Amino acid sequence: MMFAAAAAALIVAIFLGLIRAYLGPTIYDRILAGNMIGTMTVILIAVHGFLAGRPEFLDIALVYALINFIGTIAILKYFRFKDLGHAGTDKGREEVEDDA
Amino acid sequence: MMQRKPILRVTSKVFMPFILIFALYVQFHGDFGPGGGFQAGVIFGSSFILYALIFGLHDAKLVLPSVVLEVMAALGVLIYAGTGVVSFFTGDNFLNYNSLAHDPLHGQHYGILIVELGVGLTVFAAMTLIFYTFAGRGR
Repeated sequence: MMFAAAAAALIVAIFLGLIRAYLGPTIYDRILAGNMIGTMTVILIAVHGFLAGRPEFLDIALVYALINFIGTIAILKYFRFKDLGHAGTDKGREEVEDDA
Repeated sequence: MMQRKPILRVTSKVFMPFILIFALYVQFHGDFGPGGGFQAGVIFGSSFILYALIFGLHDAKLVLPSVVLEVMAALGVLIYAGTGVVSFFTGDNFLNYNSLAHDPLHGQHYGILIVELGVGLTVFAAMTLIFYTFAGRGR
């Protein structure tokens, strides 16, 4: 019962995040909403694992957290540099450009 | 530019070995829990994708050149198909694990392990190559 209530609360929170992702005036609101939905999903997977009596689901939750982290970094980098492979190191480490 | 982001750099450096260890755990624990070759390959590749995101495609290609990845992608398929062909020599069907060892149970065990290794290798190489190609457009 406790886990079911937690799962219901998490689903409500995910819907709130979806609304923010849809309404979000700036791109950063949407990215933050997406990141929050990801975090909620991690907890939802863990809660579902305990709800269904299969604690192995924690492994899947770990993987989801990892992919969420890398995905958020990739999206932020794409919107900042418009280029995923960019590092400022392609022409040598000394030529670090200014943060515009 | 990413040199000015010390938190991201340090975090990814600290995370990378744990991601690799977790990928190996998923790979070799796949027959008891959730996981297997495909998932392990994706997790293994995601650590190198993280490295390429933080330190740039140029540095990532110094660590893991595209040529090595192309060879690894083909090698995984070769391991998979080779495991299947081995059972031909004892007069069994393609990919019949029972003939890999004297005890059919051990044969199943080795067969699944080797085939999953091939799958993981190919998926890791393919995922990283897709990212290299995608991030390297227009240069």
